[in-house]
Amino acid sequence: MSVGLEDYLAVSGLLFAIGFFGVLLRRNTLIIYMGLELMLNASTLALVAFSRYNNTMDGNVFVFFIITVAAAEVAVGLAIIVALFRKRQTIQVDQHNALRN
Amino acid sequence: MQPANLALITLFAPLVAAAINGLFLRRRGVAAAALSVLAAGTSLVAGLTLILTAEPFSVSASWLSLGGFHLELGLLFNSLSALMLFVVVVVGFIIHVFSLGYMSDDPCRGRFFAGMSLFMFSMIGVTLADNLFLLFVFWEMVGLSSYLLISFYFEKPSAVAAGNKAFIVNRVGDFGFLLGIIWVYWTYGTMSITEVTHLADSGLVKTGIGLLIFCGAVGKSGQIPLHVWLPDAMEGPTPVSALIHAATMVAAGIYLLCRVGAIMTGEALTVIIWIGVATALYAGFCALPQKDIKKILAYSTISQLGYMVAAFGLGAKLALVGGDAHGVHAAVNGGVAAAMFHLTTHAFFKALLFLGAGSIIHACHHEQNIFNMGGLARKMPVTFAAFTVGLLALVGIPPLAGFWSKDAILALAYESNTLIFWLLVFGALLTGAYMTRLWVVAFLGQPKSGKAENAHENGWVITLPLIVLAIGAALAGFRGLYPEAFSGVLNAVPHPEEGLGMIIGAGIAAGAIGILGAWFFYRPGAMQDNLQRSAPAVYRFLAARLWFDEVYGWYVAKVQQRLAQLLSFLEQVFVSGLLVRGAAGMVGLVGLGTRALHTGSIHGYVYWFFFGLVALWLLSIGL
Repeated sequence: MSVGLEDYLAVSGLLFAIGFFGVLLRRNTLIIYMGLELMLNASTLALVAFSRYNNTMDGNVFVFFIITVAAAEVAVGLAIIVALFRKRQTIQVDQHNALRN
Repeated sequence: MQPANLALITLFAPLVAAAINGLFLRRRGVAAAALSVLAAGTSLVAGLTLILTAEPFSVSASWLSLGGFHLELGLLFNSLSALMLFVVVVVGFIIHVFSLGYMSDDPCRGRFFAGMSLFMFSMIGVTLADNLFLLFVFWEMVGLSSYLLISFYFEKPSAVAAGNKAFIVNRVGDFGFLLGIIWVYWTYGTMSITEVTHLADSGLVKTGIGLLIFCGAVGKSGQIPLHVWLPDAMEGPTPVSALIHAATMVAAGIYLLCRVGAIMTGEALTVIIWIGVATALYAGFCALPQKDIKKILAYSTISQLGYMVAAFGLGAKLALVGGDAHGVHAAVNGGVAAAMFHLTTHAFFKALLFLGAGSIIHACHHEQNIFNMGGLARKMPVTFAAFTVGLLALVGIPPLAGFWSKDAILALAYESNTLIFWLLVFGALLTGAYMTRLWVVAFLGQPKSGKAENAHENGWVITLPLIVLAIGAALAGFRGLYPEAFSGVLNAVPHPEEGLGMIIGAGIAAGAIGILGAWFFYRPGAMQDNLQRSAPAVYRFLAARLWFDEVYGWYVAKVQQRLAQLLSFLEQVFVSGLLVRGAAGMVGLVGLGTRALHTGSIHGYVYWFFFGLVALWLLSIGL
């Protein structure tokens, strides 16, 4: 049994769906954040798979940039979540509804 | 010195005083009074120098140029304005001096003298302005200063109401005046008085223009039907009544007519004549039952202004019909001369009478009802003598001033229309009657109240102006005494050529009958009006003054107010409701809808984001 492009894309789609529904359905900001990261990694996996399939380096170059930027983003994002917790003593998103109406 | 500079000094000295008094000296009565009197004195000296030395001149400077529309500001000095300027500065100065004494115990003198100086500035401006636009500006400013001074005792509701009434009634007349000015500009393309007179000379006259300009004079000079403000204006301090509401400002309407007399047509002149005659008689009747000394004099002023208006109309019409060498459009015709002559003599004797009344009121501690006076002849001999001179001058007893000027008016009437002649003669009879009634009740008999009992003659600051004005009232009728500068006007005063004895005889006889009738009818010392006692129905009818105030009150309350309420309702419903609130309401509704989308829940936003993405995707694949 050989592992082809379709299998990689299936895994990537599955990861993306898990991340998406995590963002959509969970209330804990940290879990939502993890969902976001999952979606990001799903897209990098798809990029690597396409890169390999086409025998070009373009996708790999994108992936390097995405990983770098994601690292920075995690630092900023976690800092925001910590600041939010300090301010409101909770990280449940349904408590953060100051923009309502 | 250049004549124009002299004129500018005359004009601006009071403005400087008004500005300094109004801005800095409101709490320093003594300094403000001194400054105002100094300014009036400066105007007097500069004005008299100008009158005695200057030839007629006209200067102007461009002020505003908008495309094809040019506006010039300038001064026009001729024998007509010289005579008016003479009246304004001389009477103005005398009354300023009188005010020093009369207002000496008033804490708000700063405000009073600021108003007086502002008035002097505006009135001199009216006198010298060379175009209708500038004239209108000063015209409104005399209205403003009149308003400020009528409402001087603003803690009294009646004074405030009187000030408002004067201002609003004058607005009615001034609105017509403004329309007339616009029409003049429309027709002639200029507002300069010289050019308009010149153009009107060549036949471009319209009845409507004349009548609209006359509207301004009707308002300012208290002619029927806009006379109602002048008696109420007596709420102001007495020097104000003397200066503004007797001698100068109310005469501005007459001066305006004389200044632009060339634009009057025969039809307009007929209206002017009859309004003048009606006012002269009506106000004479109104004066008869009045008990307030100042209101009697106010109605007398209205009556004399009616004489002046009628004189202007009669003379101008005679010149128009006769087509004499001067023509109606000459700067000065018989009507202008007679009206201005009467204006001048009237300024002297009416200012004298008002200041005499002021002297009495000051001595009697602000008592104005003549039936609370009595016996003042012995207590205030100087005032009594001066007042008597003024009275005889007003009634027209020779050789005092009023005789000569009223004679000129009667001569014009005799020449034009017998009915008008006899009506004006009857007016002279009324004048004699109401003035003698005042004189008998206030001065003779025994004092009828404690205030009159304790009255005593005032100091020289008050009596000296009375004496000066009494000399003026005695001599102002002799035209030979006037300087050469006024000859342009005074030489044109009509002399009766036929019926001289008739005119003089009728005039004197009417005055004498009036005086004697009142002398025997009103008993000195009576506590009550004899007419009220013997013929109460007649008295009530006269006191009702033809219900002008009531009709206006009814009109304003029942017609105008209803219309205003209707318009206000329509405005509330359509403009304010449908358009303004409607537009705001639409935006508000949209806001309500869109606000519901902002749930504040991050999951909601993710759903919207997701749906938006799906929609974009569907769009991109062509569904």
